[in-house]
Amino acid sequence: MRSIPVSAPDPSPAKAGQPGPLLAVEGLKVHFHTRDGVVRAVDGVDFQVGTGQTLGIVGESGSGKTVASLTLLRLAPPPARIVAGRVVFEGENLLLQPDKRLAEIRGRRMAMIFQNPATSLNPILSVGQQLTEILRWHTGVSRQAALDRAAELLTLVGISDPAARLRQYPHELSGGMKQRVGIARALLCEPALLLADEPTTALDVTIQAQILDLLADLRQRLSMSMVLVTHDMGVVARMADRITVMYAGRVCETADADTIFNAPQHPYTRALLESVPRIDHSYSGARRVLPSIAGRPPDLLHAPPGCRFHDRCPEAAPECRRTMPREHLVAPGHSVSCLRRGSPGEETP
Amino acid sequence: MDADFASSPVSVLATLQRPPAGVWRQAWHRFRRNRAGMIGLVLVTLVVLTAIIGPFVAPYDPNDNAAMLRGASNAAPSARNWLGTDRNGYDVLSRTIYGAPTALAVGLGAMLIASLIGVLVGGVAGYVGGFTDEALMRGAEFFMVVPVFVVILAVVRLFGIIVVGTPLERIPNFNLMTIILLLGLFSWPQIARMTRAEFLRLRHAEFVEAARCIGTTPREILFRHILPNALPPLIVLVALGIGGAILAEAMVSFLGFGDPKSISWGQILFFNYQSLKVAPWACLAPGTAIFVTVLGFNLLADGLTDAFNPRVRA
Amino acid sequence: MGALRFLLRRLAFSAALILGVSFILFALINAIGNPIQILLSETPGVSEEMIATLSRYYGLDGNFIDRYGAWLWSIVHFDFGTSIIYNQPVGELLEVYGLETLKLQLPAILLSTLIATAAGVIAAMRQHGWADFSIVSSAMLGHSLPGFLVGIVLILIFSYWLGVLPSYGAYSTRNLMMGSMVIDGLWHMVLPVAMLTVFNTATLTLLMRSSLVDVLRQDYITAAWASGLPARRVVLHHALRNAFIPQLTYLGTLFGLMLGTAPVTETVFTWPGLGALYITAIHQLDYPVIMGVTMVITVMLVVATLLTDIAYVVIDPRIRLG
Ligand SMILES: Nc1ncnc2c1ncn2[C@@H]1O[C@H](COP(=O)(O)OP(=O)(O)OP(=O)(O)O)[C@@H](O)[C@H]1O
Ligand SMILES: [Mg+2]
Repeated sequence: MRSIPVSAPDPSPAKAGQPGPLLAVEGLKVHFHTRDGVVRAVDGVDFQVGTGQTLGIVGESGSGKTVASLTLLRLAPPPARIVAGRVVFEGENLLLQPDKRLAEIRGRRMAMIFQNPATSLNPILSVGQQLTEILRWHTGVSRQAALDRAAELLTLVGISDPAARLRQYPHELSGGMKQRVGIARALLCEPALLLADEPTTALDVTIQAQILDLLADLRQRLSMSMVLVTHDMGVVARMADRITVMYAGRVCETADADTIFNAPQHPYTRALLESVPRIDHSYSGARRVLPSIAGRPPDLLHAPPGCRFHDRCPEAAPECRRTMPREHLVAPGHSVSCLRRGSPGEETP
Repeated sequence: MDADFASSPVSVLATLQRPPAGVWRQAWHRFRRNRAGMIGLVLVTLVVLTAIIGPFVAPYDPNDNAAMLRGASNAAPSARNWLGTDRNGYDVLSRTIYGAPTALAVGLGAMLIASLIGVLVGGVAGYVGGFTDEALMRGAEFFMVVPVFVVILAVVRLFGIIVVGTPLERIPNFNLMTIILLLGLFSWPQIARMTRAEFLRLRHAEFVEAARCIGTTPREILFRHILPNALPPLIVLVALGIGGAILAEAMVSFLGFGDPKSISWGQILFFNYQSLKVAPWACLAPGTAIFVTVLGFNLLADGLTDAFNPRVRA
Repeated sequence: MGALRFLLRRLAFSAALILGVSFILFALINAIGNPIQILLSETPGVSEEMIATLSRYYGLDGNFIDRYGAWLWSIVHFDFGTSIIYNQPVGELLEVYGLETLKLQLPAILLSTLIATAAGVIAAMRQHGWADFSIVSSAMLGHSLPGFLVGIVLILIFSYWLGVLPSYGAYSTRNLMMGSMVIDGLWHMVLPVAMLTVFNTATLTLLMRSSLVDVLRQDYITAAWASGLPARRVVLHHALRNAFIPQLTYLGTLFGLMLGTAPVTETVFTWPGLGALYITAIHQLDYPVIMGVTMVITVMLVVATLLTDIAYVVIDPRIRLG
């Protein structure tokens, strides 16, 4: 069983039966222990996803979005180590569950779709083999029942002639088609939460719009929650209820989508929005990759002390170089982590 | 994952000054932390030192078989002969020590020949392209699938007969040189393929394009920009090839097709294999020497691979 | 890409290979002059006429091109000529000795594939753990270990010191083990097969591990984990089959080269196989046998490449030809 070592003790086990968000991530830290040193890819991240809600996670390349979302299923790749934090999903801290329990949750309660459809389907197994295997493992249905269900799902994700597709191999499908298969695979067991890590980045612009439409539609129909990781402000604007902005392994700001776009507080969020041509809330089909802000994100191998953003921040004060801001609420449902917005500080070691 | 940084004009200028010397220093830095590579380096150094100073410290002359006259052949290790004596009364330790220069000559000689041919063929194929490329690579493929070892055995034996009565016969160690030549002739295809691949990759690399834009001559591009950058993977291949050639010569000699006039580990094995039961040390000593040397070069190559492409491993 | 064109290209290349190798050898053998003359020149009482008669008998008269043509012509008719030393049809010798060689090589390849796969899986699953470290280090050691040294050490330990296994030959010369040909034959196979297995396993394990490590990093494997599949399914069904693809080439080479390593194995264990036959033939300048064995080995290489191609098509749906 692939699962990364967890070295954090659980300070307060979740109280069973207590109503809470579907998913709550608290103080998550994931570090890569490489030969060159420790890469602090995710370094104290909190966010929550309510039932039926879509959370958008945005941030520049390398800000730790993928590592954070993989860690929700305890799947960050080998040199990764979960150093601290909790991932509470449906009342259980997943980081403490035995591998067997985790395997029951993966694919059944929480499923994932991947960025690159070309590499996320096994090249030597047919579509049918890949889909039915998962169904049969989780539900124990017969081969024929599994095939029928798989065909049903292919129809649901907008693939015509599903019976023929089931016999095909990934290399015989187009990129958009592969991504639809990937989505169908994630939806096989009707999960409560769908993780989507840049589901459209690798696709053509026209296909991107179709896939987003499909996701929005499916979320409605299956009343799923979703975590949508992306570079693209246009995508979150259109899809997300709440947005978490990440920078260099930490969360800068979390708020409702409207608030993020209309009243952003964190200087980084503002910089992000300013560098995007005016965002209207409808997806125009244009590709909007996160714009370049002057300077480069810090090297997480040698993360600077203080606020990670200080060297690129237009509002940086001397204290920002020394003190790491901690997240705090500036309004109900709106938290920011910036000393200039009144965040409490945390001495950096 | 990397930002699209390499394509910014700044970095093109930065890489314009040939492969930065830093590449080598970085590689050495990484190499030093690679345990396997360092063990390999130590073993190879050991063999090289043995080859250089061995003849001065070896307890006996390699052709001194006085023990046989004393009736002390196949004698077990003792204070007098640390690794015992062999069937012919030679001191096993001395002969094993004298085998080191032969082994290195075989390894280095064969790979020198292979590199010369390989870089030339691969470079021309990669640089010229088209029909030349196709033809040369077909040829390389031919040499790659020929059952090398079997052919070498036959050729060595037949060549030995052909030269009888010609002036070539008087060249010392002519037989060994034939073996080296043959091993070289059959090991160039890998080097040619790698060189070609590197040349194809580098021909359109940004810093080469940039050099071309500012009017650097093709010759200079070839020697100052492409070749040095193609070097790291070639060095790895050569290190592996040295070990391989040494092993091949040992096998050829073990089968009795070696050069009777030179002292090689394979020869010692050939002479003593019949008396394995009574004098195992006479086989184990040269066997271990071959093992240590080949292992050294293999580990060295492993460390070098790692040092040159840090991305391969986490 | 048309399957037929691909196949034709392969066959053309194979034919060129066979022609090339045979021509080089033939030319070299020709260059040393008349083997009969060389062999018999020191034997007293052999007259010029006898040598001439014998030469004619073995097809050694006439000019080079004619002889090469004649040789090719008979090869096409599966006639490899007559051995000078054994005075037997070379075809028969190849069959008898070839079977002995296969008896060692095939079990060794099978065993080493199994062991290497298991070891590679364990190492790749416990990447950087102690099991991985010990598997990789021993494979690295084994990879540099000359085959004959393994054989020598095995003989020393099991034949000379423990005295439990025979050190030479394919059968006992006097009393058969437990009175049975089969058991006695198997008994004699143990050490040589062990030597070949050690030799092949080390390299295969290193390859298996590195390609499995590579595959386990792929998105589709993460996707398989994320679907909640158990480790057994993910590793054996999803990863292993993909990791096996790059192995095929090496297995093909191993299969093709098995006759190439035979001379050493069979010298170490005095095994009556093709390798030993070949060594004797070279020493004795038994040129029909030299040519015959070389041809078998070359054809074997060609067959191995074709088998590898077929295996690729079977295992990897992306390479369905035509
Ligand atoms: N295997 C690894 N070893 C070491 N560091 C890693 C590894 N994988 C990721 N990282 C580091 O973790 C950090 C976060 O990476 P991650 O892939 O989560 O970024 P991301 O926000 O998803 O970026 P992108 O938008 O490019 O997908 C990066 O700085 C990266 O260098
Ligand atoms: Mg990512």
